[in-house]
Amino acid sequence: MRPGIIFIISLIVLENIFDTLRELILKTAINNLKIERYTIKNIIAFILKLISNPWIYLALLFSTLSLFLWLFILSRIDLSLAFSLDSMHYIFIAFASGLFLKEKLGALRWLGTISIVIGIVLVAFS
Amino acid sequence: MPASKNITFKLFLFLISTDFLETFTHYCFKRSAMPQSGFQVLNIGDAFMFAKISALSPFLWLGLLSVLLTFIIWSTILTKIDLSVAVPIASFSYVFIPLVSMVFLHETIGPLRWTGIAFILTGVILVSLSSKEKEKEAQTP
Repeated sequence: MRPGIIFIISLIVLENIFDTLRELILKTAINNLKIERYTIKNIIAFILKLISNPWIYLALLFSTLSLFLWLFILSRIDLSLAFSLDSMHYIFIAFASGLFLKEKLGALRWLGTISIVIGIVLVAFS
Repeated sequence: MPASKNITFKLFLFLISTDFLETFTHYCFKRSAMPQSGFQVLNIGDAFMFAKISALSPFLWLGLLSVLLTFIIWSTILTKIDLSVAVPIASFSYVFIPLVSMVFLHETIGPLRWTGIAFILTGVILVSLSSKEKEKEAQTP
């Protein structure tokens, strides 16, 4: 492992926590709004309801924080390294969905998550 | 129209185009961040300065435009094809991005990193296939 990589990995973890929070907020907001039929009127009503939900702006804030954090990470390390490590959001989102959205995680999803963890560890040491 | 598992050649091209767009996005982000490689961020003021300098880079805006385009294509595709089919094809950016990094950014990628990338790609495909598992559960009340 090269020096300073632990600090950068911590930043990637933080960036992925922001992403996961954003996804949880958006998924909760969207779950409460169902479009029955895709007519222009329904889509406009959907967008109006969405932008009147104050949580959406928190999601937007997390997106912005995540973007600038990502740019900072990219200013320090190789793109090929950063993008591979960024796949840890699959793990975070899987756990967060199980924990907060009560989604069930099947065997295949566990297997996939383990494979991603192995991949991240290998990439981190490269 | 319900999402289907059968993929047409046209849908496949659209899916692959999201890989290229995502690769382009992160190439642009990397280019916009590269000039700040020596920029020290020690306090919140530095962080805002870093954000300000990044926001002045045209590459950042090109990247964001590409994000928007990806989002539009992606949400259109998902009305036509199952997530468990779409995600594996769309996750080839895990291979395209290292390739672009090698060729255009002159990064060196050793066998260990390629092995890690292969594990990540396998994992992403398995995770996306598991959305099928969930569907089966949903169908049996």
